[in-house]
Amino acid sequence: MIASVAVVGHQNNPLYLQSFTNANDALKLHHIVHCSLDVIDERVNNPKRSVSTLNESYLGLLYPTESYKVYGYLSNTKAKFLVVTTDLDVKDADIRSFFRRFHAAYVDAVSNPFHVPEKKIVSRTFAQRVSGIVKAFAAGTNG
Amino acid sequence: MANYLAQFQAIKNTSDRLVVAVEDVSDLWPSVKEGLEKRLPLKKASLNNKTRNPVYVENLQAEFILTTDSRLRSRFPQEQYLFWFREPYATIVLVSCEDLDEFKTILKPRLKLIVQNEEREWFIVFVSKAHPNNDQATKNAKKVYARLEVDFNTRKRERCCKLDLNGVDASFWEDFDFKIVESIRNTLDRRAQFYEEEIRKMSEQRLMPVWNFCNFFILKESLAFMFEMAHLHEDSLREYDELELCYIETVSTPGKQRDFGGLEHGDDQAALLKPGFKPLSQIVQDDSFREFEFRQYLFARQVKLLFRLGRPLEVVMRGYSFIISFSKTLALHENTLPFCLREVWVISACLAIISSTSSTYDGLAAPDNEKEFYRLHGDLYSLCRIKFMRLAYLIGYGVEIEKSPVNSASLSMLPWPKPSIWPAVPEDASAKVLAKEKLILQANPRMKHFNIQRKQLPLEPSSLLREANRRRASLSVGNLSELIDYRQIDGSGIDGHQKFSPSTTNSMSRTYSGPNLESSLSLDRPMRISEVHVAAEHALENTVTDPDLLKSLSSLEEFEQKYMELTKGAADNYHHSWWKRHGVALDGEIAALCFKHGNYDLAAKSYEKVCALYAGEGWQDLLAEVLPNLAECQKILNDQAGYLSSCVRLLSLEDGLFLAKERQAFQLEVVRLAHSEMKHPVPLDVSSLITFSGNPGPPLQLCDGDPGTLPVTVWSGFPDDITLESLSLTLTNTLNTDEGVKTIKSSDAHILKPGRNVIKLDVPPQKPGSYVLGVLTGQIGNLRFRSHNFSKGGPQDNDDFMSYEKPTRPVLKVLKPRTLVDISAAVSSALLMNELQWLGLIVKPIDYSLKGSLLSIDTGPGLMIDESHTIDINEYAKTMEDKVHAHDSNTITENNTHPLEPKQLYIENGKIALPDWASDTSTTLWFPVHAIDDRMARAASAVSCADSPHRQNMVDGMRTIALKLEFGAFRNQIFERTIAVHFTDPFYVTTRVANKCNDGTLLLQATIHSQVKATLCLYDAWLDLQAGFVHVRKENGRPVSSFFPLVISPSSTAGILFSICIDNMAIAADQNEVVQAESILNVMYGISGDRSNGAHSPTSLKLGSSDKLFFKVAIALQRPILDPCIAVGFVPFSSNCLRVGQLINMKWRVERLKDLEASPSSSCKDEVLYEVDANPEIWMIAGRTMGHALLSNARGSRTEITVTCMPLVSGHVRPPQLGLPAMDDANISCNPPGPHLVCVLPPTLSSSYCIPA
Repeated sequence: MIASVAVVGHQNNPLYLQSFTNANDALKLHHIVHCSLDVIDERVNNPKRSVSTLNESYLGLLYPTESYKVYGYLSNTKAKFLVVTTDLDVKDADIRSFFRRFHAAYVDAVSNPFHVPEKKIVSRTFAQRVSGIVKAFAAGTNG
Repeated sequence: MANYLAQFQAIKNTSDRLVVAVEDVSDLWPSVKEGLEKRLPLKKASLNNKTRNPVYVENLQAEFILTTDSRLRSRFPQEQYLFWFREPYATIVLVSCEDLDEFKTILKPRLKLIVQNEEREWFIVFVSKAHPNNDQATKNAKKVYARLEVDFNTRKRERCCKLDLNGVDASFWEDFDFKIVESIRNTLDRRAQFYEEEIRKMSEQRLMPVWNFCNFFILKESLAFMFEMAHLHEDSLREYDELELCYIETVSTPGKQRDFGGLEHGDDQAALLKPGFKPLSQIVQDDSFREFEFRQYLFARQVKLLFRLGRPLEVVMRGYSFIISFSKTLALHENTLPFCLREVWVISACLAIISSTSSTYDGLAAPDNEKEFYRLHGDLYSLCRIKFMRLAYLIGYGVEIEKSPVNSASLSMLPWPKPSIWPAVPEDASAKVLAKEKLILQANPRMKHFNIQRKQLPLEPSSLLREANRRRASLSVGNLSELIDYRQIDGSGIDGHQKFSPSTTNSMSRTYSGPNLESSLSLDRPMRISEVHVAAEHALENTVTDPDLLKSLSSLEEFEQKYMELTKGAADNYHHSWWKRHGVALDGEIAALCFKHGNYDLAAKSYEKVCALYAGEGWQDLLAEVLPNLAECQKILNDQAGYLSSCVRLLSLEDGLFLAKERQAFQLEVVRLAHSEMKHPVPLDVSSLITFSGNPGPPLQLCDGDPGTLPVTVWSGFPDDITLESLSLTLTNTLNTDEGVKTIKSSDAHILKPGRNVIKLDVPPQKPGSYVLGVLTGQIGNLRFRSHNFSKGGPQDNDDFMSYEKPTRPVLKVLKPRTLVDISAAVSSALLMNELQWLGLIVKPIDYSLKGSLLSIDTGPGLMIDESHTIDINEYAKTMEDKVHAHDSNTITENNTHPLEPKQLYIENGKIALPDWASDTSTTLWFPVHAIDDRMARAASAVSCADSPHRQNMVDGMRTIALKLEFGAFRNQIFERTIAVHFTDPFYVTTRVANKCNDGTLLLQATIHSQVKATLCLYDAWLDLQAGFVHVRKENGRPVSSFFPLVISPSSTAGILFSICIDNMAIAADQNEVVQAESILNVMYGISGDRSNGAHSPTSLKLGSSDKLFFKVAIALQRPILDPCIAVGFVPFSSNCLRVGQLINMKWRVERLKDLEASPSSSCKDEVLYEVDANPEIWMIAGRTMGHALLSNARGSRTEITVTCMPLVSGHVRPPQLGLPAMDDANISCNPPGPHLVCVLPPTLSSSYCIPA
């Protein structure tokens, strides 16, 4: 299950963070996403460690812990997309396609002329679209 | 073969180095032993690794063992084969012989026998005991050695070397080392090949039923062990890696149900660094090993090799991933393992890896590796910490664990342990249960500071109470959770406990129906949370064997100490690894604990770091969680500035993070502190809370020197109104940065409403330029705040961490100095002298209001303002300029735009206040002025026709008037100008004698030139003659013919003719009378002019009235000259045309007209002084220009003066003139007069002349 999705700007500021847990515990997901930026920083700053993924947006599994996983994706504009999933057995391809759709939704959202770059995304359409993508992902992995 | 495991283990334990066998044929060992053993360990050995590539091994350990030693003799052949790795890798045959025959007959056959075993690698050391001085013996030894070489050396390989006991040759040892290494290498290669072959064969049987992992393991490990003995650790490690892979495959093949292990005492402590923790024979199971022990064993072997290879980083890397993967494996078998063994094992494993690697790490690795190393350590600490917290939570310390995002993220998604049976409460635990209940009740649920209402984050994946009871209930009556409605219980176990009162549980217990209803209380009714904790504690005490861990869990203090240690370890390592976010987040946890223990100083420092990180990257949700804690620390520490700043930061967080009530509480704190507690002013940056911007629209424009009022929009982020004692803003000149910043102040107290406020600030006069807003400062009580933040006309921007470039939109433009007003004379033509005249001044504001302006007038000498009159003001219409020449002037200046506005002004103290209606329009001010000139006008003689008297008149008529206009909002602008006004007489008069009649009557013509731009009308004129002249016919001095009234148009002339005659009689009579020296022409005239054009009838008169003015002109009349005594005549040129450079004679004829007696003025009787006056640039005079010419005194005598001269320039030039300086002009008659101009032609072309420069 996807616990949370997040978009983080190129200055590591949160642009969008949506949790999909029932409990009122979004704050811990904020923390997880925020800490995952350490990993992204490290990967981006040490490209030699990830030669194979140098030219790829998808950063792969950032953060394997016992209870959840964080996957990352980095756009050309250094916007970071993160997914926290409690599902410990996710196919890489699924996550990749998820990120591609998530990225597309983000691009559409920030293309809105009324959106201020590097500010939080408040678009409801974007939130709905992301929820849709998350639902579709859950259906895809379960089915 | 598995039976050999124990033996295998023993062999491994005993043999740790390569064995070299020594076949002591000639009993030499005691004498050479020392020398040989000195060579060990072998300094440098070239061996081949598994892929047959040469590897240099240093300090290769080996051991010499005599073949007669029991260790080598007592082995069975099968054992030898199985554990081949422990067999000797080389055999040294020690031989000594001094007799060739003996060698041939005895020694050689024996040696042949020894070396016939093909599998052995051997070489012969021939020991010569011969003393160097004993030649015979040496010779024999040499012979024998030579024979030995012939017999045992082959072409491919030399197997003999010679050791002289007396005097060792250094080359021997090299030879010896070489041979021993060669033998070892060959043996190693052969054995490796053998093992590989065996392993390959066995691998082929992998999928067959005969496959036995133990056998495979013995072979594989033998190979690995052999490599390890040969210091080929890399190869050895590879073997273990392969072994591990193979094992995991074997374990994961479905089918056989194997015991997992981990049930024995002490298994809770990880054996990651202890390969000999359990004998392999104990963990063997069927054809394989128990996974729990064996995987740890393999890992321990790998770690050992890695340490040998000096790779602590790899140990940590492998260690961390091993712990994670093994923890997963443990989770799979959790229901068979002791309660929480998984958690306990992970804790011990992490700590073991950390302690082993941190002691061996030398810190000399590459920076990247170092970061990786610390990061992994941080991960290990963190993992250990999570598991430790989980254990602590289970036994009831959860109430004391900070419910922070960090802990919640770690714990709330981590599933509970899943033992097959949840531990039950031990029999005699009622005291413990009570103690736990007390602990829970006493734990003060930590109130958030500022009474912030925030739901606490969960530390548990699901309610522990529910989980424990469900697991127990499933044992007895099925799914208890369906019986009890837990939907009310929300997350926290403590809450659950509170709602789950004993009475409820009792009533619930009665509803149970199940087979074991009577069996045990603990199974019957759901446990209370305190019971769950006690049960868990009890179970843990059984699981944990590590006394340290037990101690750490024994009390809250011990727990907190260990918790602190682990958190600090994790944080420090993350900081070292540059995973700052991880590190700082854990710093927050440290701070929380410090705070709890009253160590506020440390807590504040750590919280500051956390807040800085979150604020820096804009994670406001997280910041909102930590910032109140920091504020509380600062409050306790009495750090007022910090506390205020924190309150302001709390206020400036996004809306929605705090309730309105909470935000009001923050504001109250700020105001309370600002007004009461602080003794000294405290500066504070409120950029995030109060922002400001200029008003939208064009900037305020001010003229140079003008003050103004600048409206500024200030956004207040305070939830309530806030009173500011003062407010000021800095302005920065964008064009001229040298000036620094200017501060504008609004000293009034302002009350800022939440949201948008418009505040007006007074701007003192600024230098020209374009100004942008700089910094907003102000004061609330003792709090001096500053704000640097611009808002863009909207609510304040919370993302201050990403401050965009400050907007450079100017709010104020101070224009360069320019003319704001112009004052000029309305009329350029002359006004009447000595009459009251309207002086017009056009006051023309140039895009600037003259409201309230004051005009000071200072008249120059000879001019005065008639203050008895009012001053007219009217609008200066542009049309006026067009109609300036029109004569219907009365309607021009009157403009009825402001019919009600005053048009009459009064002058007070030389100052006039301009009316308001005139502030924006050009106006004309009319002053009544009076120019005074005492001198009487004089007529000029028309004969002399000089302009100078007239000119003189122009200058005389000039009067100045100094104007000073004070205007602007504060009369700060000054305009000064001095205006020249021209006054004149209405006309000037020239006279000439028009005709001289034979009867002595002179016709005197007075020509009247109008000097004003107005029509003059002469009503009358009469001439008062001076003595010596009388009017003809004794008239009253009126002109000859009367044309009055005579109208003179502007700039035109009129003439009046008077007939007068010389009064010969009067000369004698005048002796005693005051002689009137001059004649006076009296003119009675009227003027009809418009003041907007120039001269007009005096102010005191009504415009257009016919009242007459009076004007007097003095006329100088001279009696005609009757006695010219000398006549000068110019003799015409001889040639008609003059040329440049041509010499000509100029001749004058001088003739005496009278006898000398009649002209007493001449001083010289018979001569006359002459002077030729010529322009030296035009004429070159040859000869004297001045001299005396002879002229007799007799009437009619004449003489001729000739001067030779040459014209220098061509053109019409004035010729030289002859003057007689000794004579009055009146006595000279020019007849004929000389020409005024003569024409001089240019020189002829063919000629050239020198022209003086």
